[in-house]
Amino acid sequence: MSDESKPAPGGLLNGLETQKTRRVNEAARSLHPSAVKDLLSLGVCERCILRLVTVTATFDSDLATVSSSTLRGWLGSGVEEAASPEPSICIVCLGVLQFVFSDAKQTLVKSDHVAWITDLVKQQGHEFDSFVLEVSLPSTISENERAVLLYLKGKYSDEAWLQSEKVSVKDALKVLVLDPLRASLGAKSDSSSFHIRLTYSQASDEAQGLSETKHERKKRKTDEENGSNCMSENPFKKVSEPCILSVHCNKMPIFFGGRYFKYSRNVSQSRWIIDDERMGEASVEEIIGGSILPACLGDSYKFHAAGREDIDVRMLGSGRPFLIEVQNSRKCPSQQSLTEIEEKINNSEKKLVGVKDLKFIGSECWAMMREGEAEKQKQYAALVWISRPLEEEDCNSVSSMKELKILQKTPIRVLHRRSQLERERTIHWMKVEKIKGNAHYFLLHLCTQAGTYIKEFVHGDLGRTTPSMGSILGCRAEIIQLDVTDVKMGDS
Amino acid sequence: MAKNPETDDTMETTKQNQSEEEVEHSDEQKQEDELRSLLLSDIGDLPLSPPSATQVNFVSYFITDFTKPGHDQYIYRHANGLCVIGLAPTHIAFKDEGGITNIDFNVGKSDRSVLKVSGKRKKNAMRSESNTALCKVSTAKDSYIVRCCVKGSLLEVNERLIKQPQLLNSSADREGYIAIIMPTRPADWTKNKESLITLEEYKAKKEVSL
Repeated sequence: MSDESKPAPGGLLNGLETQKTRRVNEAARSLHPSAVKDLLSLGVCERCILRLVTVTATFDSDLATVSSSTLRGWLGSGVEEAASPEPSICIVCLGVLQFVFSDAKQTLVKSDHVAWITDLVKQQGHEFDSFVLEVSLPSTISENERAVLLYLKGKYSDEAWLQSEKVSVKDALKVLVLDPLRASLGAKSDSSSFHIRLTYSQASDEAQGLSETKHERKKRKTDEENGSNCMSENPFKKVSEPCILSVHCNKMPIFFGGRYFKYSRNVSQSRWIIDDERMGEASVEEIIGGSILPACLGDSYKFHAAGREDIDVRMLGSGRPFLIEVQNSRKCPSQQSLTEIEEKINNSEKKLVGVKDLKFIGSECWAMMREGEAEKQKQYAALVWISRPLEEEDCNSVSSMKELKILQKTPIRVLHRRSQLERERTIHWMKVEKIKGNAHYFLLHLCTQAGTYIKEFVHGDLGRTTPSMGSILGCRAEIIQLDVTDVKMGDS
Repeated sequence: MAKNPETDDTMETTKQNQSEEEVEHSDEQKQEDELRSLLLSDIGDLPLSPPSATQVNFVSYFITDFTKPGHDQYIYRHANGLCVIGLAPTHIAFKDEGGITNIDFNVGKSDRSVLKVSGKRKKNAMRSESNTALCKVSTAKDSYIVRCCVKGSLLEVNERLIKQPQLLNSSADREGYIAIIMPTRPADWTKNKESLITLEEYKAKKEVSL
């Protein structure tokens, strides 16, 4: 690099230079002067010049303080005429690094950049002590940057600074914004589950995006890519207006776990609506999710349960494990308020659904999910009617059957949507409990392998489940009602 | 000697553990009692003879004198649309001495019992029209063609009947069902239904009580 073309401003400031300004000056002096001149006249901003024409791939907030006039000052005369009174929007970063942007209503924001972001984040009402900053930029920025670098390579192909890695606009913006943002939000920035996303988009893109289908946009993109080879004449897209900046906050899903009870035979597990008509009077999903969501100030929730039962089957005894996933929660309720939610559900007037052990679940939730898949055994109580009176002998013979293997063809009631298969299932044990005053009825307590169709095991499904309660007792058997009394998970 | 603080501590912990266990035990007992009362409280008035699963889950239709006199069949339609096909109690075959002794699914172009339907989309299912032959039942005296009655896909035939044809005589409406057919389109079923009669109409027509 030649030193002759550079003035020596160091002499003027000699001794007064702080460490910071010395660094900045050193960095600026190391820049290739004619390349800087070229870029200034192309309409590239100072920060982009520092990024692109630097020997070392460093870009920090100190360097970012360099102003256009300082830069011009170092370079001496010859560029002043190119300077316009209003700083124009950089053709590379489209104003992103100049902190020039419009808000969602497309009015130019002139106030402090970080204060503006802070305001928007605070408006969304999240509770957080750390955050992750994400930046999304329009594709024009990287396209223009590529074109500028191509232009520089054409002119200064053998210069060392061209070979070094460049700091991207995205990273440069983070360097500029992160520290002041940390201070103004009073939060750390690390691998947090709370994300602040700065989305810069071009007004023209937004307009196009609305009228274009995805396919058309893809086609346009390929056309542009093909065209970029012959862009050396007029390589940059003209930019007259700044990007539109929007700020989105997103909290990664948080999970709550517990066990639920279903006391009603007219409540489904998940929201069940066919042709605008609700099946059952409510759902477990909605009763629990609807109680937790407001406490988290979240956007939405998802309900996951370890297995399911039919709408007309109650879930009693141990309850069934479930998880509630809350999206974009603003706050995480305390254990005390979770207990209050639990009590509210349990003391509701209709008492359709109950909850126990409701708690916040951190990273172990995935282990719980896997455990949920490993639902191994289920215990039921079935009210059974048989076509002849029950005898003492029946009780003994049924109770003596252990690990009974049965073959079940896909029940007729689900055959319309499931494959026709014959599955082997195990009934681990059974107990008969007589009902006083009616010998045709009894309570059948049974423990089965997960996936056993209990209703079919009792009535036989036209002989498609064998053996069945009816075939074992040698009579007709009907199931009047069914309750799940225990759900045994993987290792319990 | 002054009291040993360590021993005291241990004793106290043991005591605590004991009382915790007691609490747990009584909790379990309480839960057990709760479950029992929930199970029993839901048992309401028990009818002498409750409706069967077939009666609850299916709507019964019949077709009488189908193509020939006395060829009476039932069509039990599940809420999910599937139709179970079988012989109505008034079928002429039951009037022959000894009832049905044999069933043969090898009628028409293919053996209905070797078709294997697979997957949720019911691949390989035979397409049936209402008068497609389903099987042939034989008695000591004669044999009779049983028809599909429903336009749709033949999902399964009751293979048990091949070895145990007497199920047709003993429980034609349950273990003695003959086939399951899925109507292809709702419109097909609507049209199909016009040729069928309801349980009430059947009872009146055949003067039987079921």
